[in-house]
Amino acid sequence: MKTIPVEAYFVVSMILFGLGVLGLIARRNLITVLMSLELALNAVNVAFVGADAHMGLVEGQIFALFIIALAAVEAAVGLGIIIAIFRYRYVDSTDEITDMRG
Amino acid sequence: MVRFLIFLVFSAWAIISAIGVVTFTNPIYVILWLLSSLIAVAGIFFVAGAELVGALQLLIYAVAIAVFYVFVLTAVPWEKAVRKDPHYRTEGVLSLPLVLLLYLEMAVVFLLGVVASPEGKFREAIAKIGNAEVVGSVLFTKYFFAFEVVSLVLLIGMIGAVLIGRKESQTYEDDTG
Repeated sequence: MKTIPVEAYFVVSMILFGLGVLGLIARRNLITVLMSLELALNAVNVAFVGADAHMGLVEGQIFALFIIALAAVEAAVGLGIIIAIFRYRYVDSTDEITDMRG
Repeated sequence: MVRFLIFLVFSAWAIISAIGVVTFTNPIYVILWLLSSLIAVAGIFFVAGAELVGALQLLIYAVAIAVFYVFVLTAVPWEKAVRKDPHYRTEGVLSLPLVLLLYLEMAVVFLLGVVASPEGKFREAIAKIGNAEVVGSVLFTKYFFAFEVVSLVLLIGMIGAVLIGRKESQTYEDDTG
């Protein structure tokens, strides 16, 4: 368990989270935006589990399980919203939804 | 040492797949790259000794959520989406310094956390009776209330998804103009 330094987990987690945030900003399609969000959630899971393996606790794995459950809820509700938006407005790009622009 | 090499292989796989998720244009290729990245992250979990989280990652993420995304991809026609540029290129380039600043902040916080992190108290118990048993015993005693709240959140999310995604008899016209 001590052969992998905890910094390695954190570096991998940081790179994955940054890529997820970048996709969240730069993607135009609604569904790929949600996929980038899943990538960022996975990066947080990697950090939790890596810190767990370093410290010998199990709390990080429990929070990773909670994050997986909440990601499932987020995917269900987000994809339902996307389907509703497409059904009522026939748009699938994030710059066409300007109803709430002030 | 072999463990660290396996970890490096899975990490490189996950990062390459994540780059594919961010850069590819076709949504089908993007979902395949995302699936590859999720499987690689499950491999990282197995290397870290978290078998339960790795198995649930494979079952929930790489099966249930990925299949759900594929269903939604089949429900939405993509002729218009494929014609347009799939990235905001100027916004992506302009936000790159902010993302790098976020990296720097995360690195500082993580290194401070590594310095302050204590040594493990469950390590002997984990080595003796196995990881999944320890996770289950702590989850169902110390975090039992949070577990029940998560089940309630799942129920509410299911009801919300059904209510949002159902087909209504009338469609709302664009009356903002």
